[in-house]
Amino acid sequence: MSSPITNPLRVGLRQERVIPPQCLVIFGASGDLTHRKLVPSLFELYKQRRLPSEFALLGCARRPWSDHDFRQKMAASLSDKIKESPIEWDEFCKGLFYEPVNITHREDLIKLGQRLEEIDRLRATHSNRTFYLSISPEFYGIACRSLAEANLLKDPKRSRVVIEKPFGRDYRSAQALNKLVQNYCQESQVFRIDHYLGKETVQNILVLRFANTIFEPIWNRNYISSIQITAAETVGVEERAGYYESSGALRDMVQNHLTQMLSITAMEPPGHFDPEAIRNEKAKVLQAARIADEIEPWKCCIRGQYGRGGNKEEPLLGYREESGVSPSSTTETYVAIKLFIDNWRWQGVPFYIRTGKRLPKRVSEVVLTFREAPVHLFDAAGGSPTSNQLILRIQPDEGAVFRFDVKSPGSGMRSRPVEMDFSYEQSFGEPSDEGYVRLLADAMLGDPTLFTRSDEVEAAWRLYTPLLELIEDKPWQLPIHQYESRTWGPAAADVLLARDELLWRRP
Amino acid sequence: MSPQLTLQTPLQLPPDEIPSYLDQLWEKDQPGNSGANTFCLLVWQPAWIEQELVRVGKIKAPILGTQRNELIEAARQIVLKGDLPHSTPPFDKRVVESLSELSGKEQKDDLRGQHVDSAISALQPRRLITLAPTLDKNHALEALVAAYCPLPEEGGGNSACGDVVVLRGSINSLEKGLDILDGLLPEELPAWLWWNGNLDEAPNLLSQLALPKQRLVIDTALGEPMKCLDLLKGKVTSGQAVNDLNWLRLRTWRETLAMVFDPPSRRNALNNIVKLDIDIEGKNPVQGLLLAAWIAERLNWKLQESNLLNNESIEAKFRRPDGIIANFRLVHLPIGKPSIHPGQIVGIRLICKPYQNPRQGMCVILASESGECMRLEAGGMANMELVEEVVPIQNNSVEMDVARLLSTSRGSTSPLLERAAPIATKMLSLSQSSNSAKFN
Repeated sequence: MSSPITNPLRVGLRQERVIPPQCLVIFGASGDLTHRKLVPSLFELYKQRRLPSEFALLGCARRPWSDHDFRQKMAASLSDKIKESPIEWDEFCKGLFYEPVNITHREDLIKLGQRLEEIDRLRATHSNRTFYLSISPEFYGIACRSLAEANLLKDPKRSRVVIEKPFGRDYRSAQALNKLVQNYCQESQVFRIDHYLGKETVQNILVLRFANTIFEPIWNRNYISSIQITAAETVGVEERAGYYESSGALRDMVQNHLTQMLSITAMEPPGHFDPEAIRNEKAKVLQAARIADEIEPWKCCIRGQYGRGGNKEEPLLGYREESGVSPSSTTETYVAIKLFIDNWRWQGVPFYIRTGKRLPKRVSEVVLTFREAPVHLFDAAGGSPTSNQLILRIQPDEGAVFRFDVKSPGSGMRSRPVEMDFSYEQSFGEPSDEGYVRLLADAMLGDPTLFTRSDEVEAAWRLYTPLLELIEDKPWQLPIHQYESRTWGPAAADVLLARDELLWRRP
Repeated sequence: MSPQLTLQTPLQLPPDEIPSYLDQLWEKDQPGNSGANTFCLLVWQPAWIEQELVRVGKIKAPILGTQRNELIEAARQIVLKGDLPHSTPPFDKRVVESLSELSGKEQKDDLRGQHVDSAISALQPRRLITLAPTLDKNHALEALVAAYCPLPEEGGGNSACGDVVVLRGSINSLEKGLDILDGLLPEELPAWLWWNGNLDEAPNLLSQLALPKQRLVIDTALGEPMKCLDLLKGKVTSGQAVNDLNWLRLRTWRETLAMVFDPPSRRNALNNIVKLDIDIEGKNPVQGLLLAAWIAERLNWKLQESNLLNNESIEAKFRRPDGIIANFRLVHLPIGKPSIHPGQIVGIRLICKPYQNPRQGMCVILASESGECMRLEAGGMANMELVEEVVPIQNNSVEMDVARLLSTSRGSTSPLLERAAPIATKMLSLSQSSNSAKFN
């Protein structure tokens, strides 16, 4: 939804923390993410005056660009934003630099160290450095080793490394990668980014739960009967077939984004709002989570793959017909899983998570369904009584809805459900920052709250290990169910819930 | 949080030996270490009231220069027992004048600059330089120096260290000794000047200290209002980084007012404001004018005229972008137990009336307490669509506010203050001119 007129009294009021003098070094600076997300987010931070005057961005990649080339390329891809603020761009641009670096070449790293010292002198960045690894995951370990060998990670307070997903392919590879990275830097220096955590509405789950006294007392197995977490996309695999074929929905979405939503929804209240306290609770809840049936895991997971769909005017290809995809591919584009969390708060409450491509709507949400009233005193207008639901809308149309029963107008005493709706758009009328704006700022501030810690990553991979092993070793036990593009996934996913006498919510 | 002390008893040195002594201080124990790589803070710390209270025996403790309850209470007692209106803020200039008439020769240790508030020490300043003027006008310049390590209260942690320098003496001797500051502020670190006193009390010193490269922290609630606003405007327009604690204390008002208009359904009301009333404590109008100036600037109102009525309230007219006049009134309220910050806002009332349909009016009332809400509701306001909020006023110590600035300021003036300061200055200067000027 587009934002109406900006509230003029709101402009400039945010009380943000200030990033200390800083040089952000992006490895993979010639890649897509740099000009699509990172530099626009940094320019946004600059316009909001949240970057210090002592700031520099050093782009690094193999291409033999100069500072001038880099600035021009960034300017070209941000041309729309620059049109709105040309003066700000001219100033921001002075802090952009480029150094050709092959991360595997020792002499390049020595040159990089010298360049950083030069930038320190030029921009007074005080040797505070954030290294952003926007490179292929196979180079994460090498990059950390090279940086450490060039003495660029020796001060844990002044240097940190930001790592993009995927962090490993499974539990073992994640564990090995963690060990490798931790050989060269301290855990406090590693910021594993998950852009879902940068979303205002995901963070709002914490505020909703822990700033309001009405929710926390009922946020448990005594009042909640089930929880559904959905991340639906309308798009297909698009340009990412090469990566997606080897990952699939489970690795691409579930292990990270959905599991982060799960941990924030289910975690215990932290003692205080402190990065480690929060991450401890998130890790603990993941360690207590398990696939609903560990002995027969195929009974609680449904994999699907989109087939053809659309209409005559806009026909949609099936996944196996997409460019770069094997015609006999068994990569899942849809997955639905039933989980349990074995702790006092959640024992016996099923968590259903699902994600898929080419579903009818782009929507991410968490739905908490409350237990039914113990005695039904009233007839329900819809035939059967409905449970109360709290729906936390992550995107789009960010907000929350509470469904509850009221008396249906008329002489009888019939109940019917209504909705109490909170919308960010209606209440604030301002678009939220892009997740990367928040996360880049936090990384440079050295605030790890919204980044995943090594034990969280490992716990998340371990949670899905029975399924990953099954896909690897006995794929016939987790067959791929075809579903028509722009439908809500395979019918088998509905059966998964039907066994528990439940339905997926149709967002 | 309790204040923290220096690691060692400060060493008294001849002022000109201090820079070389400090250069050696870190090198001796840890070659290559020059202490925390953070910032330097230069503090003008007159503590006149505290010095006077000690002299007349109303406080029997060393002079610390930090705001604390004992000091505030003692100053309030002087207001109550002296011949001052009860609405006099405890750190008002008149309290100093009243104290100076009392006899007394008590003396206590002067520990200004040696007791660092933990909110500030937690930020690990590289160097804290305190200028501590004395009541004795013949006091020669003394210089004290000590190493300093802020120790986390919860223990543990590895704190970067810094040092403290105290320059103590009469204003004259301090003015003469300012040369040594050049060698004490490393070029590579940001330097802040916190003028923790009235802005008009030592103009020569202030102009010598507030060099363009310094990041300035001032409080426009302290001093003669016109001089304070002129200084603020001058510094802001010169491009110097200025942080005004009086402006900082407006943040809850600005945030709450913005919150009222966050729902898009209320945005239109902002275009239809016909009246803005601001009530303030006592007589210092600066904070109220800054808030009005912020609203006017944000809504693109142009100042038309400003008058002082009955030597009490200030009334101004602004032209809205649609040509309609919005009236502003700043009213002084006598408060029995005023805040330590002169001229704090106690209430705001905004009346919005669409030109085409005045019956669809809306009244927004924000007040520091519910009694003020009720007062502002008078006159039929409750008949309109009424939005009322009680604004939570944070009673932070001035040290907490400064620490907040040190940790969050970007080394530049807030663009909102930058734009509001000239409007506030113009409102006050027009209202003070004998014939209320009118312009278009």
